[in-house]
Amino acid sequence: MPAHTGGGFDDLFVDGADWESLDDAVGESSITINMGPQHPSTHGVLRLILDLEGEVVTRLTPVIGYLHTGIEKNAEYRTWVQGTTFFTRMDYLAPLFNEAAFCLGVEKLLGIEAPERAQAVRVILMEFNRIASHLVWAATGGLELGALTMMTMGFREREHILDLFESQSGLRMNHAYIRPGGLAQDVTDDFVERCEALLDLMPRKIHEYEDLLLRNPIWMERLQNVGVIDADTCQQMGVTGPLLRAAGVPWDLRKAQPYSGYEQYDFEVAVDHAADSYARFLVRFEEMRQSLKIIRQAIDTLPGGPVMVQDKQIAWPSQQSIGPDGIGNDPDYIRHIMGESMEALINHFKLVTQGFPVPAGQVYSTVESPRGELGYAITSNGTNKPYRVHVREPSFVHLQSADLMARGHLVADVIAVVASIDPVMGGVDR
Amino acid sequence: MGLEDKLPSGILLTNLEKLVNYSRSASLWPATFGLACCAIEMMATGGPRHDMARFGMEVFRASPRQADLMIVAGRVSNKMAPILRRIYDQMSDPKWVLSMGVCATSGGMFNNYALVQGVDHIVPVDMYVPGCPPRPEMLMDGILRLHAKIRNETFAEQGAK
Amino acid sequence: MTEVTIPGLSADPLTLEAIERRMQDRFPTLATHIQYGELTIHVTPDALIEVLTFCRDDDELRCGMLVDLSGVHWPAGDHVIDRQPSTTGWPEYRVSRDQGVIEVLYIVRSIERNHWFRLSLPTSDENPRLPSATSVYASADYPEREVYDFFGVEFDGHPNLTRILMPDDWVGHPHRKDYPLGGVNVPYENDKFIPPPNERDLRDIVGGEGP
Repeated sequence: MPAHTGGGFDDLFVDGADWESLDDAVGESSITINMGPQHPSTHGVLRLILDLEGEVVTRLTPVIGYLHTGIEKNAEYRTWVQGTTFFTRMDYLAPLFNEAAFCLGVEKLLGIEAPERAQAVRVILMEFNRIASHLVWAATGGLELGALTMMTMGFREREHILDLFESQSGLRMNHAYIRPGGLAQDVTDDFVERCEALLDLMPRKIHEYEDLLLRNPIWMERLQNVGVIDADTCQQMGVTGPLLRAAGVPWDLRKAQPYSGYEQYDFEVAVDHAADSYARFLVRFEEMRQSLKIIRQAIDTLPGGPVMVQDKQIAWPSQQSIGPDGIGNDPDYIRHIMGESMEALINHFKLVTQGFPVPAGQVYSTVESPRGELGYAITSNGTNKPYRVHVREPSFVHLQSADLMARGHLVADVIAVVASIDPVMGGVDR
Repeated sequence: MGLEDKLPSGILLTNLEKLVNYSRSASLWPATFGLACCAIEMMATGGPRHDMARFGMEVFRASPRQADLMIVAGRVSNKMAPILRRIYDQMSDPKWVLSMGVCATSGGMFNNYALVQGVDHIVPVDMYVPGCPPRPEMLMDGILRLHAKIRNETFAEQGAK
Repeated sequence: MTEVTIPGLSADPLTLEAIERRMQDRFPTLATHIQYGELTIHVTPDALIEVLTFCRDDDELRCGMLVDLSGVHWPAGDHVIDRQPSTTGWPEYRVSRDQGVIEVLYIVRSIERNHWFRLSLPTSDENPRLPSATSVYASADYPEREVYDFFGVEFDGHPNLTRILMPDDWVGHPHRKDYPLGGVNVPYENDKFIPPPNERDLRDIVGGEGP
């Protein structure tokens, strides 16, 4: 499949076994090569078609769709709560953000608000997820650019955060913990201690990463002045998140359009002005620090109360408790629905099998995910299944500007550019 | 591949087979075929806590020619399927395939138009590891069972593949 | 590089009613409605480029970013909206449309003034054609390709309108309501061999002569 028509040069596609035709091409200076979907350095299954003149990139065409899963269509055949388990697998490095954005949209349609404790726990877990996502970014970015120790260090810290997630939701990734109306279940008794332990651990680890990378001459050489995109171009291209903040615009949805109680927390928006990959690296590290600040405030002010809205028509009915064999159905609850109350049993049955109907209408709910503005455009037609959910994933939109950022750079810089965009192909392809 | 076909099977070669199989299983190099969420868990398995390097496997070979094991980690869409087959064909013998996660094993929760419902429609699979995503310990378990399977393989079986 | 303004502080965000008034002053024929705290403006295809240019360049609105472009398919015919009348007691709800509609939604946002709203653009689902927004907002490139890929809407003036997420030779537009979900039939029986589906044969169901 020809990617484009040549700009003054004849296109030459060499598939193998036709090397004789290469003779004619000697003397021409433009090559089109394919950094295929299976590649160690592109973030996941991203295919880049590079037009090169020597080693300098003249055009970059991303080809996506190698991970397309039809999640948006599949969610139309599931109930609203089951949708959470689908959308959480889109951006698999920051699954709680997917869940939160979807649930905020559903709650907007329902006209309810999650209880304060649920909102605070959502904030805490989302900020930990932001740190975990930035750690994976730093780890894979370091791996691709040659700083292999960053890979082991990043994944080591991420394991601690995943331990926390596992203790609360039962899963290390793709949790389906944030549900419409609140959370799936309350946090454990040792939640605050676990968070405090992580808050003690992370600052010195971030300092350790900065020791390795911040003033590292190789790192600076490879990232400075690579992939520059200024603020105006960012707005035209729909670029948000760390890329926009690295260009000098202090736009953060947590400040501009606060959700889930973010207005109560005091934190700064990480901004840099150089608009290159190094600036994005600085912005992400600063964001990790600000996340720790937010978590500290949220833990100190964690309210009590329920974690699920009290409306029996919506609240997920089953109660879970930790028994000798792990998390399972709470025996008291089972006794209640089986022995004591027929209505509770019917309610449980209907909510679990059919779900609840959501009023008709359209909403657009956004969160500030580690990659940028993550938005869910939800259309409901009044039934218990979503009619159409469209996910505005920041990585999808940012890949359009990869071409602009990579032109005039060397092939090795293309890797740095793609790494600094931080695309997650699950979100790009959905 | 050609040599193994011509070797006689039977008692004559058991010691040699044992040696060869042991060395194959002890340094089974995976090809990077991480697709989606399972890829992150695969990277975590290579990370410091659940260390795959103990089993000789931390070198993820980007070039399929140098890899022995293809861990299909993640959901395989219809667009990716021909590429998966091509990478499998480019791997040199002996090679094994481990299908990681339910999406690679059977299509997972995504029973729809976009995904191949099970990577065994495309490549022959030696080990299936369920989970969404499987914990690193589960992946290690699958890999170790695959090592055991490799050690019990005869030359004839490998040549017939 | 122009001076960077602090969002929300360069000028107060306009309320939804103020945006509505501004749009209606300029384009009196457009219908608007506010629901769930969000403003939706219904645009016709011939006015789209003018409206988008106004949203971007107007001093009061200054919506410099096109955040999202997506489609919703409302097919023609009679539809029963299933609200489980047997268990909920809710009456059956029927919707009937003579003409199937693909509604394309544009969400524009102003970073300087910190407000946003939605434009809704209906087009017929039989031969959907719309002008491309790439002349106004460059970020419409990939989303329009996605709407083309999944709904079949052709955007006039788009630089490269090809399939983006589905394979290039795919037949059919998957997110339309008349396109089946696909997949395999999974009966819970033991020892049953489920043959691999050939999704490309959905041509029989979907029709069409080629890409």
